Amino acid sequence: MSGNDVYVYAIIPAGQALPPGAVGVGSPAAALRLVDEGRVTAVVSAAPPQLRARRRDLMAHQEVLQRLTDTGPVLPMRFGTVAPDDESVRAQLARSQAEHRATLSHLRGGVEFNLKALPAQDALAAVVAEEKNVRRLREAVRRRPGYEANVRLGEAVSAALSRRAAEAGRKILHELTPLARETAPGPEVHGCVLNVSFLVDRSRGDSFRTTVQRFADRHRDHLELRVAGPLPCYSFVSSRPQRTPVAGG
Amino acid sequence: MTTTMYADEVAPCPPRAGTLYDVLELILDRGMVIDVFVRVSLVGIEILKIDARIVVASVDTYLRFAEACNRLDLERDSGSTTIPELLGGRAAKSVGKRKVRQAAESVGDTVRKAVGGDDDEDDDGNERPKKRRAPARDGSSRRRRVEA
Repeated sequence: MSGNDVYVYAIIPAGQALPPGAVGVGSPAAALRLVDEGRVTAVVSAAPPQLRARRRDLMAHQEVLQRLTDTGPVLPMRFGTVAPDDESVRAQLARSQAEHRATLSHLRGGVEFNLKALPAQDALAAVVAEEKNVRRLREAVRRRPGYEANVRLGEAVSAALSRRAAEAGRKILHELTPLARETAPGPEVHGCVLNVSFLVDRSRGDSFRTTVQRFADRHRDHLELRVAGPLPCYSFVSSRPQRTPVAGG
Repeated sequence: MTTTMYADEVAPCPPRAGTLYDVLELILDRGMVIDVFVRVSLVGIEILKIDARIVVASVDTYLRFAEACNRLDLERDSGSTTIPELLGGRAAKSVGKRKVRQAAESVGDTVRKAVGGDDDEDDDGNERPKKRRAPARDGSSRRRRVEA
């Protein structure tokens, strides 16, 4: 890489200012600047040499996008996007200006909420009480303790926790979908039975959260819900056809 | 303020944007990709994700679940196994809970270590996801009532 490398954080509409005090990736943190081209602007900084996915840099990337999201529509770049120089950034913006503008206007007023469902952390007693198979295996261990029996019991507990969470996960997805403009499945995360992102009107963010919270309270024995948001619209900027528009959203 | 989105995890739904761990896969696997720009190598992260998968499916995890399950029994008088008692036995339940947590957290810990990686000098603790803690429960008095 040459010394001119440019780390690209986001594309925003022209005329939108940088959030005051925000800094970029690298140590010491690189200063943010804007590269304008027509009606769109790229938020960039110098790219640190030997950039990798370190905690500090991931957080810096996320923080810049989060701050930008607070002030207007943003096309977040995937972490670690580097252009050879300002000129190539300008050329790209010029080439794809219409497309970028269209996506920005599509996202206007929207934020991403990400929901993950995990097997309930507090549900062991409920699983033993309600799952026949687990009860049977537990009795077997008691009668004849041993390694094999314990593995079978543990496996059954693990499977039951996952299954119960997946069932409840389908229910919450059904409840939340009408509150969103679009949904997009997230990458598979191990340990999660559900990972899905919602494009939600900023003004409906509170009711989205409240709905999640109520559901989490009602289904403590089945799943643990983790909601993150409002986030930059990471999951709604690609042109891959995996997003699901929501009727009437 | 930079720390607002890395909230504590006491509530089932942490406020604001969640921890870095909660959005890690979005930062790494979502967001816009432009063909003419390059992306830094994320090889290390991917390898450690696969490690985490091995932990999930391990016999060790099953044995921890089983131990937690058996512990539920040991906390009670050996003769009593009725369901209401099992559900009411809060002291026993909280023991089991801790065990389930330990088993379940091994995955997250692996990924967290992966992200921490070789970059420790700036770990000021704010962003590090905390161990989940159950709210303190009045286990003993509840249990006495059940067993009375």
